[in-house]
Amino acid sequence: MTAYILRRLVQTLVVIGLLSFFCYYLMTLMPGDPIDEMIAANPFATSADAERLRQLHGLDQPVHVRYWNWVKMIASGDLGYSRTYRVPVTEALGKSLLNTSILAGTALAFSLLVAVPLGVWAALRKGSRVDYLVNLFAFAGISVPSFWIAIVLILLFAVYIPLYPAGGTQSIAFGLGPWESLLDRVQYLVLPVLSLSFLSIGTYVRYTRAAMIEAMANDYIRTARAKGLSWNRILIMHGFRNALIPLITVIALSFSTLFSGAIITETVFAYDGVGRLVFLSIQRNDFNVAMVAFMISVTMVLVMNMIADLLYGVADPRITYS
Amino acid sequence: MNAVVPGRTDGAGRRAAGSDRQKYLEARPMWKIVLGQFVEHRMAVAGLIVIGFFLAVALLAPVISAVTGLDPARQNVLARYQPVGSWEEASAYQREVRVERFLRAGDRRAFEDYLLGLGLPGPGVGREEVVFELVTRHEPGELRTLLRTLPEPGDPAARQDLAEFERVVRDFRSFHLFGTDELGRDVFIRLVYGTRVSITVGLLVALMAGFIGLLVGSLAGYYGGRVDTVLMRVTDALLSLPILVVLIVVSAIDLGKVLGDTPFAFIVDHQYESVIKMVIILCLFSWMQAARLVRGSILSIKEQEFILAARVLGARDRTIIAAHIVPNVIAPLLVAVTLGIGNAILFEAALSFLGLGIQPPTPSWGNMLHNAQDMVQHAPMLAVLPGLLILFTVISFNYVGDGVRDAIDPRSIRR
Amino acid sequence: MTRPARRRIATAGIVLVATLAVYAFSRPGHLGGGAPPTNSRLTIGITQEFENLNPVIMSMSATAYLFRLVNRTLVTLDENAEWKAQLAVELPTLENGLARLVEVDGQPKLEADWEIREAATWGDGTPVTCHDLEFAWEVAHSDKVSIASVEMYRQVEEIRIDPANPKRCTFLYREAKWNFNRLFQFYVLPAHLERPVFEAYGDQPEGYEQHSLYTRDPTNPGLYHGPYRITEIKLGSHLILERNPTFYGDPAHIEQLVIVLIPNTGTLEANLRSGSINMVSELGMSFDQAVAFQARVDAEGLPFKVNFKPGFLYEHVDLNLDNPLLQDVNVRRALVYAIDRDGLCDALFAGKQPPALHYVSPRDPWYTDDPDRIAVYPHSRREASRLLDEAGWWMRPDGYRYNAQGERLRLKLMTTAGNKVREIVEVYLQDQWGGIGVDVRIQNEPARIFFGETTRKRKFDGAVMYAWTSSPESIPRSTLHSGMIPSEANGWSGQNQPGWVKPEVDALIEELEVEFDADRRLELARQIMDHYTGDVPVIPLYYRSEVSVTPASLTGYSLTGHQVHATDHVERWNLEPVAAAERGAP
Repeated sequence: MTAYILRRLVQTLVVIGLLSFFCYYLMTLMPGDPIDEMIAANPFATSADAERLRQLHGLDQPVHVRYWNWVKMIASGDLGYSRTYRVPVTEALGKSLLNTSILAGTALAFSLLVAVPLGVWAALRKGSRVDYLVNLFAFAGISVPSFWIAIVLILLFAVYIPLYPAGGTQSIAFGLGPWESLLDRVQYLVLPVLSLSFLSIGTYVRYTRAAMIEAMANDYIRTARAKGLSWNRILIMHGFRNALIPLITVIALSFSTLFSGAIITETVFAYDGVGRLVFLSIQRNDFNVAMVAFMISVTMVLVMNMIADLLYGVADPRITYS
Repeated sequence: MNAVVPGRTDGAGRRAAGSDRQKYLEARPMWKIVLGQFVEHRMAVAGLIVIGFFLAVALLAPVISAVTGLDPARQNVLARYQPVGSWEEASAYQREVRVERFLRAGDRRAFEDYLLGLGLPGPGVGREEVVFELVTRHEPGELRTLLRTLPEPGDPAARQDLAEFERVVRDFRSFHLFGTDELGRDVFIRLVYGTRVSITVGLLVALMAGFIGLLVGSLAGYYGGRVDTVLMRVTDALLSLPILVVLIVVSAIDLGKVLGDTPFAFIVDHQYESVIKMVIILCLFSWMQAARLVRGSILSIKEQEFILAARVLGARDRTIIAAHIVPNVIAPLLVAVTLGIGNAILFEAALSFLGLGIQPPTPSWGNMLHNAQDMVQHAPMLAVLPGLLILFTVISFNYVGDGVRDAIDPRSIRR
Repeated sequence: MTRPARRRIATAGIVLVATLAVYAFSRPGHLGGGAPPTNSRLTIGITQEFENLNPVIMSMSATAYLFRLVNRTLVTLDENAEWKAQLAVELPTLENGLARLVEVDGQPKLEADWEIREAATWGDGTPVTCHDLEFAWEVAHSDKVSIASVEMYRQVEEIRIDPANPKRCTFLYREAKWNFNRLFQFYVLPAHLERPVFEAYGDQPEGYEQHSLYTRDPTNPGLYHGPYRITEIKLGSHLILERNPTFYGDPAHIEQLVIVLIPNTGTLEANLRSGSINMVSELGMSFDQAVAFQARVDAEGLPFKVNFKPGFLYEHVDLNLDNPLLQDVNVRRALVYAIDRDGLCDALFAGKQPPALHYVSPRDPWYTDDPDRIAVYPHSRREASRLLDEAGWWMRPDGYRYNAQGERLRLKLMTTAGNKVREIVEVYLQDQWGGIGVDVRIQNEPARIFFGETTRKRKFDGAVMYAWTSSPESIPRSTLHSGMIPSEANGWSGQNQPGWVKPEVDALIEELEVEFDADRRLELARQIMDHYTGDVPVIPLYYRSEVSVTPASLTGYSLTGHQVHATDHVERWNLEPVAAAERGAP
């Protein structure tokens, strides 16, 4: 087991290293550099200014040298400096990373809470009207463009029926108690979470349903029924437990989509999260911020894949690691 | 329908279970079984119909444009943000441009003489100015009535020109089913052309990605060993990337610089450069699922007894691949491609929504949404309609994909 | 109980719980659209990102907007586009004797005496002195600090501080130019706080900016001397400011300002309507949106005022004069004739952005529209067609023009992707030029690439549309002088993107720069405009207007239309009736 984990870890690290170079290289292929942005914003800047700044930031060096410098910097524990915000990357990223985790975590929890019961329900009534409706809902979820649903939600629940704020992270207000400020955060989260959840609900419902149908078709369910076990017990201990395995995989793999989804959701809702930050830093060629965010996302996905593999063992006693 | 799928009703099922069951099975080719299964998936059939409709719209876009007299590029800044279902007359400027086009499109002397002969538009007008003056002096509504009352010209050339001119004048007035956008362009016809662009991108991407996936997947699956390891690690690594982020980076790359002097340089500056670019970019990052599916099914088939049997019987590699592996791979690939179309449409829309995808004036559903964003509170339909179309199309492709998967799934085949 | 009945009750229960949940988390306050703002707080929405407020280092336009809330400069350009002393007691001029023409080592140079207002102090009570000017000037001369533009500082060769009174100093200018006193981007830095940082980290690349107190301790009151100071700053989110008790001028009326970043313009408007923000700054709504919002305000009687002010941003199309097709002046003139600029401004901008005849704004004292002084091109399709026919481009039945070699008259038009108004105008131009048979291809790029590569390095072969910003009476050297054509040889410096070479204009510009007689300057400037309009290296489109939305009750606010934003007179903004405020005062 330990050997297996170690091997997977090493593999993962190698992949992360290679991907970091790949991403870095991709970003350098984008035309322009951070200096252009500064120069473009200032009508008085001259080309001499641009040259001076480029030298100062080491942008006159070839890609591999710059990449290597970046790696050395990361290895020394310094995440670098954001040229867009002119603060250390940790400061630019820290807060928004937390905000995105809150958003994505809530969305994940919410969608599981909705999707799993729906999926199980549909599976148990396969072919019924309920199944059709749940399926339609799930398909709509995976087919709807997330930015569009975001716009529609804003139109419906912030403009026509003004129940929630149209965008932002939290109210900028003073003297709020802990309960009030929590409620305030929740109000700002409702619409982004809903819009982010549509896709994942769709995905999870479909997988839960399929896995549940498969699990319930197994012979041991029939055996358990014959043994006279209670229906709920069969459902949970024999049916649902076996349906969990594919579900875990899907959830682990969906971390990367959550991240991608966050970019659009955060942009439309003006939510101060890492997705929007990444979008901006790419547009502004702020390599340090974009690279760190890239790495966090990639690492998270790869680690999640690993965890999913390991969790199989918990959910399915037949799997061993050797 | 029963003729194709006799197994559909219980009665037929019982018949099939009868004495001629053997013969029946032999008589029924695989594709018929699959088709039968597919047809049972009602939503998939509905999806197929919707897709058929959108495909027809996409293919017939120029026809629709010709019939309705609407042009996706024609703007009228005097009639911006018109509500759904409104009539609008072309501006004086537009009328002038269209008349000039009409005049330059052929020899109109006979027509001009005919008008002069009728004393139109009035005394003291030179021949070159006749048609222009006619249009400037009369309001379009008035002009239409006037043209209807004109006597039939004797000269056949003039007769033909008159008919043509009448059509030009008729098209001054247009009906906007879904209103107009920020430049006074007709939203309906732009949606029609947007369908064309979005679906083309979706189809091309999914087909090309499917092809790349087939190539990579079969190389990995068939050769195994180190080839497999390398290819699959690459696939997994690409899968772990946050795709939208990578797409944002890649779509910012200057195509001119990358292609340089390669034979593909013609793409740069092409009228549809942004469309082609979008297809290439989306292809590069969407073949991985297909590759995994293909590899998976090749691996599972390779180990099955019938392959071994075929090999023992002396079948060559080529035969095995053609007769056994390909048919078994086609099925999952078909599913991947169908689902891929939907995904490609969504990604195109997302990138265009961020302003990085298809560039104006080419309409696509995504960039129409991008354009509508600012004014969403003043003209919500501009944002709602393209989104609805995306939803309908993608959901249809997803249902069809689901239907195909169900139909070819050996476990669900009921004979 | 029957099964269906039970199911119905369960369904009803779920619906009830869901409805309760929706209401529990909703904020009924939003239904009313919020109470009108008072002088206790004003919440302003902006759409553009801002950075920390170190004035010397800042490079984003939103930061320039915010900067004026907390700090001031020696000289400013007021809302009427007039140069005024701000931190300085008086503008030095040759006439008032505060400036003198001198000769140093045989070079003609200029000296000017500056004096900082006695009352100007940093928030911690330290007076603002010439040492702060000198420190900023020193920082700007360091090659380890990334400052976008150093020209404003480097024109000053030496700063001599009066030993008796550090509020007074004399600047020695490298060159004797008549516009020496327009130092509106010559900032002051609090030397008493920042000099130790600069001394400790100034020798590392970017060391100063990373350790500057503006980055490390942005709420330190000693960093600000303006009407407000920062109490909270969250990059990418918001900024909270409070009245600065040590401000040298009249104290601001509004106690607290909250600046909220909402990047999506649609969301911004929704927030405005729901009352979460009270005002949209000039870095906010798109023009189209503002026009539509104005209609809403009028129709529904919303408590807002939509402000428009034409400015010094000159939107135009640069033609690449190296393109053989565009070398023919008749073709260029035809392109101008073909555009209905009045129609464009009326239809797209509701008449709120004036059409342009040339690069000088109507608000500039140098402006002229006299057809005797400059060439004027009224919209005329026929004239445009005639010129093209003359130039040898004939229209074929397909509606496009071809020359004798059978080449189509084709033009690639580029602009910044994502700029709504430009994209609309671009399509409008495509249509109008299409009307005279020019095949216009549109290719847009993100601003970074467009300005960073395409225009800066002249990598366009047809036409590019963008804006120049200028200030009143600015000398068009960087845009019109032939030495300012960006090329590999000159390190891509200059903004003469069309590649316009006109020796007469070069001579006029050189003369204009050193001409101290105002009337003569006006004459020279108009001669340049005459050449410019006659030769059409650039197609003028319109002057951009600034837009903002303010609460109907806000007084003392005026858009400026230039780089010094309305925040420069924030202390005059008032949300309560003036009379009431005066009654309250002792």
